[in-house]
Amino acid sequence: MSGKISDEVLKSRRKVLAGGVAMLGAPWVARFANAQAAVDIGPYQAAKVNWRQAEGEKLTVAVIPAGYFDALINEAPTFQALTGVEVRFEKVPPGQIRQKAILDLSSKTGTYATHAADPMYYDLYASNKWCDPIDGMLGDARLTDAAWFRNDDIIPAWRGANTVAGKPYGVPFDGETTVQIYRKDLYAAKGLKPAETLDDLVKNSAAIHDPNNRVWGGAMRGFAGAGQNMYIYPSIFRAFGGDWFKSGQLVLNSPEGVAALEWYVNLLTKYSPPAVRNWNWPDLADAFSQGTLGLYVDSNTSASVLNNPEKSKVIGKIGYARWPRGPSGKRVTSIWNWGFPVNAALSEKAKRATWLFITWATSAETQARTSFRSKGIKRLGINRLPQLRSQEFAAMVKDYGDNYLQATTESMANDADVQWRPRMPQWPAVGETMATAIQAALVGQKKPKEALDEAQGRVAQILKG
Amino acid sequence: MSCAIRGGERRFALALFLPALLLLVITTALPLIYLVWTSFLRIDLSMPWLGGFAGLDNYQKLGNDPRFWNSLGLTLIYTGTTVVLQVVLGLSLALLVMQVKRGQAMLRIAAILPIVLAPVVAGLFWRSLVLAPDFGILDFITRWLGLGSYNWLGEPRLALASVIAIHTWQWTPFAFLVLLASLAALPPDIYEAARLDRANAWQRFWHITLPMLRPAIVIVVILRMVTALSAFAAIFAATGGGPGSATEILNLYAYRLSFTELSVGYGAAVATVLLAVTLAVAFLLFSFRRKK
Repeated sequence: MSGKISDEVLKSRRKVLAGGVAMLGAPWVARFANAQAAVDIGPYQAAKVNWRQAEGEKLTVAVIPAGYFDALINEAPTFQALTGVEVRFEKVPPGQIRQKAILDLSSKTGTYATHAADPMYYDLYASNKWCDPIDGMLGDARLTDAAWFRNDDIIPAWRGANTVAGKPYGVPFDGETTVQIYRKDLYAAKGLKPAETLDDLVKNSAAIHDPNNRVWGGAMRGFAGAGQNMYIYPSIFRAFGGDWFKSGQLVLNSPEGVAALEWYVNLLTKYSPPAVRNWNWPDLADAFSQGTLGLYVDSNTSASVLNNPEKSKVIGKIGYARWPRGPSGKRVTSIWNWGFPVNAALSEKAKRATWLFITWATSAETQARTSFRSKGIKRLGINRLPQLRSQEFAAMVKDYGDNYLQATTESMANDADVQWRPRMPQWPAVGETMATAIQAALVGQKKPKEALDEAQGRVAQILKG
Repeated sequence: MSCAIRGGERRFALALFLPALLLLVITTALPLIYLVWTSFLRIDLSMPWLGGFAGLDNYQKLGNDPRFWNSLGLTLIYTGTTVVLQVVLGLSLALLVMQVKRGQAMLRIAAILPIVLAPVVAGLFWRSLVLAPDFGILDFITRWLGLGSYNWLGEPRLALASVIAIHTWQWTPFAFLVLLASLAALPPDIYEAARLDRANAWQRFWHITLPMLRPAIVIVVILRMVTALSAFAAIFAATGGGPGSATEILNLYAYRLSFTELSVGYGAAVATVLLAVTLAVAFLLFSFRRKK
């Protein structure tokens, strides 16, 4: 008897174990069943393409950890049910995603089928042939149903930003534009209107600046980086009438450039909290949410943070306006989108799978499902103008503050400038050099002219053949 | 016969030693050789059409690059200051703790804590909890003392002082532990003799303790110098080399060049210069140690 267990005991033990496993597994099974039930692939089947042509492929997609990509990840089961292609998302912080993508692309390992790409990097990708131009896939009826996908609906400035020498390299998934964000209660108390010119902006900042009561008058991104301070400065530079290229040569230290940098340094030194020199957009949004900033210029998509009832103290007090005009008379906003390119190192079948993923993610249906039709995260950076102008989108943003929708759509339609930043394969080096120069001027390490002269010398050295 | 045994033993010793040597060659020597080779190439990922053998071009470019000279200067300031501070503070603490009769073990354990932290964690900890304006502990203390609020990582000079403080905070315990162990091993009879000769505390320190600790101090200086020259993670996490280029030591500059600006060949040249500086400093210190 000892050491031997009877069959009955074994059976009953198995039953108990099986029951336990079933109990533990029940919530997962239920959740999976729910997820399966919630997947509705009907609207996608209206497209006249064979969604299952790359069935069985496995893709890895690099994205940044952000709510708008979480919204896409939440929808991914629909794509898998639709195509039979398995997608794994890898979240890489924005500071590292460019480097990781470049390491993957340059070593041709094909790790990331596609990734959230910075539009300023397409020149680099194209010159190295790291990514395929997508015009072929866009025009191939076996891969894209043009009438269903409606590529022309995607915001033209964003498509333009993802185009190199007339060929598109990435499809915009999510983007933004920069606008003035101000406290309308503080403005009303002083009888101010949103700035029409850069001079007005400084005057408004001075009028509401009250650091003794912890309200600073005006701020912009001060943190050094091609996507931080060099994301804001180009708008000022262009509004001052600056041109990045003269006779085909890159010029960083033009008189307009120096004047623009002096304006930026003056505003941030006089009317921003001292810590602004290390602030990126989340820090600015946090400060504004806490009521310590009266005005700043940044992404329209910050509105979701500024209107988060758990964190924000300024809900109902926010107004938006387009960038003010500079001395040149121009208003210049940023052009930004996270787009999806196709890695050239993939097999043909994997490229088709990747393209199906990209068209699925950027289609009007998925854009709506991750925005105004979402039950969870509602993205603001929708990629299509008709949807941005839709009543559903307007209903979603109606409480975000005064003039939100108008400032956003007018900025995108009128203030986007293709020459906003110098587009060239050497952008990573140029952007980084400028970012360091701008911050050196901001912290007083160098005078604006001196900082830009040094940047010019450095870039000339880099570009020397 | 004995020769044969010796030969057999030598082969056996070699067989034991070879795997480790191979591993070291593969993981350390080959990458270093590749680094030096890369420094003679032009590899600009943003301008692939210019790639190829560049000879000494990358090194010639260094001469006209103000950011390189700034980085080299900062590296020397950073290394010199952190090493001196670590030795002075470590020795002072060790002398102090030698007087503590009870709880020495606890103090030693406490001293190990900063060392076992990953430098990137140390950098982030200082950046967000100690040095952040308005919220940091240091800012709280300076405001409480009526000295006002400072932008520790935003002002160029304060930022350099801050990264020096972070490194010193993390690595002084190493100097402290080594010097404490050496102090404990000093023979008490010499001190007794000195006391009989009426040597005062300062004379005992200057003429007995310091000379006898010299070998330990030299080894601490060598080890700390090499670590300080190769510092990266804590500064990267705390300031990223900024503001501007105020804390951009050679390692950070090489990183920015290679991975942000994509000038891999030029970045390799900067890293090779750092390697040469480190080797030269280590060689000088070791020869100084041997001479005495």
